[in-house]
Order: sequence, then structure tokens, then C-alpha cells
Amino acid sequence: MRLNISSRIVEAYVGEYASGKSEVAVNRALMLSRLGRTVTLVDLDIVEPCYTLRPIKLELIAAGIQVLAWETRDTEGLGEAGNVIRAENRWALKRPGDIILDIGYGVGGSRTLNLLEGAGTDPDLRVVAVINASRPMTASIEDITGYVGELGNVNMLINNTHLGDETTADIVQEGARLVSGASVILDMPVLATTAAEEIAAIIGPKDCAGNQVWAIKRYMPQTFW
Amino acid sequence: MPEKPIKGDKRYFMTGNEVVAYAAVMANADIMYGYPITPQNEIMHYWTRMAPKYGKEFLQTEDELSAGFTTVGGVLAGRKAFTATAGPGNTLMQEPISMAEAMRLPIVVAVQQRGGPSTATVIYSQQEVTLTTFGGNGEGFRIVYSTATHQELYDYTIKAFNTAWKYRFPTFILGDGYQAKMRESLTMYDPESRGIELVSPEAYVGMPGTPGIDRPPGQYRNTYNVEEELYEVLQQYQKEYDAIAPEVAEFESLGAEDSDLVVVSHGVVSRAAKEAVMELREAGVKVGYFRPITLRPMPEKQLREVANKAKTLLIAESAIGQLARLVKDSIYGCGAGIIPLFKPGAGITAEEISAKIKSVLG
Repeated sequence: MRLNISSRIVEAYVGEYASGKSEVAVNRALMLSRLGRTVTLVDLDIVEPCYTLRPIKLELIAAGIQVLAWETRDTEGLGEAGNVIRAENRWALKRPGDIILDIGYGVGGSRTLNLLEGAGTDPDLRVVAVINASRPMTASIEDITGYVGELGNVNMLINNTHLGDETTADIVQEGARLVSGASVILDMPVLATTAAEEIAAIIGPKDCAGNQVWAIKRYMPQTFW
Repeated sequence: MPEKPIKGDKRYFMTGNEVVAYAAVMANADIMYGYPITPQNEIMHYWTRMAPKYGKEFLQTEDELSAGFTTVGGVLAGRKAFTATAGPGNTLMQEPISMAEAMRLPIVVAVQQRGGPSTATVIYSQQEVTLTTFGGNGEGFRIVYSTATHQELYDYTIKAFNTAWKYRFPTFILGDGYQAKMRESLTMYDPESRGIELVSPEAYVGMPGTPGIDRPPGQYRNTYNVEEELYEVLQQYQKEYDAIAPEVAEFESLGAEDSDLVVVSHGVVSRAAKEAVMELREAGVKVGYFRPITLRPMPEKQLREVANKAKTLLIAESAIGQLARLVKDSIYGCGAGIIPLFKPGAGITAEEISAKIKSVLG
């Protein structure tokens, strides 16, 4: 393991379809920005670029983060599925400050990282698998370890277990238990547990497994996806 | 027997496409035939991810014509076979679906509507109503469930296989791109644990014995030599369709019996319509809500009752009058007038419906 003395935070969020990659990435970018850090959020979903961050891009820029993502007018003419990487996004790792990468889903999505210049050698890059244990494909420790194994290069897990509007602290804690259990088998740390602000207030600063809790806001429902 | 992915009742957070794939597995579907098209792709993705584990099969064909015809073939061989498509794929699939109609084959098709005409958008519409209910050359001998929530996608996908194999008409789950991609929670369950008996498939071809000696010959035709022959078959099909229509037809309504103005919508738009109507009713405005769940057959009797009492039906849909045509056909001769709220290929919010209701009521 190489010693990392850089203060630069570079995180790539990968994971199962609809696991909450974009939601976590958006919240992480805003969290770092609020600490006064320079943050670039990069939408790397190259399969369905007209979904994901496009509808909230301008709102995020107004909140002080740099966003590398398509805008509606840019996607005109791309057809139904872009399958194309924005030129600016390819060089994202060369930008100053913190870089948060929102990657397309599944194994194909995690391979998108290979398209980034410098992804193979960036000493600060951490690939974080986003896990929602309320998703049927990642609902048990066995399912989670199997799934993360398929994804390839992953450094950390994040527990993003929730049930939308029906989420309770118990559901998040059960996710924390499962994700932490999987992290032991996979031998990789849990970066955090996420929870909507009101749930995070109930849980406190640490979840039942001792992971730090990130209080998040749900932005993605505004994107219709 | 391979185990099932869902054992007890449990809440899950999912996209609509995944829900369809899980429901198909839990309905004991045997094989999916498919060709990729957004926004239905994840139905295929999740079916193929589960297939090896649960003893299911999948064939990716070269286009939707082939996906439709192989689904027909799967059913002829006695497999619970299904496919999923959208937009231009649905257009191409009309030929094999017509064949299934002609031969009374219980194929199941999930449609996630996208913008039209042609390739249009990958995102959303309710513009495949005409195509799904009455597409193809023929008389629309089909059953079409228009879902509004993920729970319904699960319930009606399971039901679609039973309906198809019970009545032997092609059966559709009509969703849309919003439902396909949207995330919400639902309860998945093992239908058999709830007393839902899954209808077993039967082979049409390759039956044992000599046809005409040991058993009646199986003649499944989509070609006739003379008009009289075809006429007789279609008369019989129509008679059988009319006979089952009342028990197949489903609807949802709220305050439609005592309101001068009733909002009529289907699918995902009915979520907005229901919300608008409930809010206005709470505020003391007498307005009703009616939603056909089956678009074919339409819940004609119930809709006529509404249209005989109400003065106005406000028809809200993400198309230019495709639901409205079905409604007009059903309520011919009733007293209610029709006011449209048509937004082809675009979503409709509760606020828009509420504003329209207020402008009509003055």
C-alpha cells in the first residue's frame, strides 16, 4: 500500500443499478464544497447521458461546485443513448482540487473509469461501491460480496441503504450491519453510512457498526429518475 | 427445483424494469425473448442476471419481429414465454402479436412506452395505447393492463401470465419510461404464498399420440382459404372475448359517482390525477377520478355509469387522444362532454390537472 499524503480527495462511485451512486456523489461533492474545498463533480454515465445529473446541473453549479455533465442542448442529436464521453470529462483527473466521479452502473460502468486519462496511476483515486441493501440484488452479505467481487477494482464500500420515503433508522442500521459484514469478508473499509438528514439525526454520528454517518439530502427525485 | 429469488414478503427499493423481471421469475415464466430498446432494457438485464440461478432461459434475437415470433414459438412449445419492448420495437412486434391473436397464443409482452412517432425519445409517453390495444391487422383480441405504480407492475406482471394462459389471448403490461426508470419501494412476495395459483402452461405442438386417432389434431391457424372460414372463427373469438371482458376488466375510481366533473386518466398520469382530485375534494370541490386499469377490454359498464351521471369528463393523457378514443368508444350515447388535457410525450403533474379542473369549474 502506497502512503498517501495528499489532501486531494478523488472518489469514484460505482455500483449496482439504482444503488444511489449519483445521489451519494452529489451529496459528497456538496459536503466537500461546504468545507471550502474546490470540488469537481463528473457525470461519467456514458450509456444514458440524458438521464442522471442533467436536470440538476445548473442548481449544483449555483451551489458552488464545478459540474462536468451534459446539458440538454448538448445532448440534442446524440440519439437515444449517447455512448460517448464528453471530451472535458476524459481529462477530469487533471483538474485541481477534489474530484467526485459519478460512474454508470454495473461492471460496464466501472470499466468507464478506464477511459479517464490518469485513472491507472492517480495515487488519490478511491473507487467506492455504493450499496443499498434494500435492493434485491444486494440484500444479503453474500449478495453484496458477490456483487462487489464482480465489479473489479473497488477500494471501499458505502452503505446507502434506504427505502425512499419509507426509510427508517432501523432500515439504515440493518444496511450498516450487512455492508459492514461484507466489508470484513472483502477486506475493505466502509467509508460511511448515508442517511437522509432526519434519519441521520436519529442515528447520530456513528451507525451501529461504528461507521461515520453522512447526513444527505435527496436531490435525485428532482431528476425524475 | 431451483429456489426462488423472493421467499417471504419484503419491501424493496427498485426501478420498474427490475420489478417486471422479478415478477416474471416469480410468475414461473420459463423464457424471455428480446431485443434491446430503451427504456425497457433492464427488464432483459435483470432477467438474464437471474436466469442461470433460477433455471430460466433467454434468447436475444436480431430484431423485434424475431423476438415476437420466437415468443410465439416458445408458447407453441408449451413454455411461459414473454418479451419486452417499446416504441418502434412495439411497432415491429405487431406482426407476431397479430399471429398470436390469430392462433390464440398466450404470449406476454411488457411495453415501456417511449416518445413517438418513430424513434422520437427514449424517455416517456402514453403514445403506444392505440398500438398496444388495437395494433396489427385484426380486431385487437388482446388484454392490456396499464399500471401506475411499481407495486402494480409486480402484481399485474404476475397476473398477466395467469390471464394469458387462462383465456389464451395475448396479454400486455403497459408501462412507460417513467415507470421503467423511476425508483420507489414495493412489496415483493411469492404469489403462491398468497394463494395465487399460477396457471400451468401447456404445449400446443409435439403432443404425444397420433393426431386424429389418439387425440384431436391441433390446428393453430393464421391463414384461411375463404372468407366464410375466417368470418366464422372471428365471430367465435369475438363471442369469447365479449364473454370474458366483464371479468377481466378492471378500474379504480374515487368520488366519480357524485361529481359533475370526473378526471379520466390511465397509467402513471393517474397518479397525478388522483393526487389532484384528492386535494381538491379535501378542499370541498366535488370532482371525481376514474382510471381504467385494463385498456382492453375497457371497463365499459362502469365508465358508462360515470358518463351518464357526470356532466364533463376531463381526459388527461401523455398523448393526443389515444385514451380519449377508447373512452369515446365506450361511452357513446352517454351524456357527458369531454375536455382534453393532452401532452404528447410529456409528463403531466398534479398541479397541471388541478389548474385545468379549476379553469373548467370556473
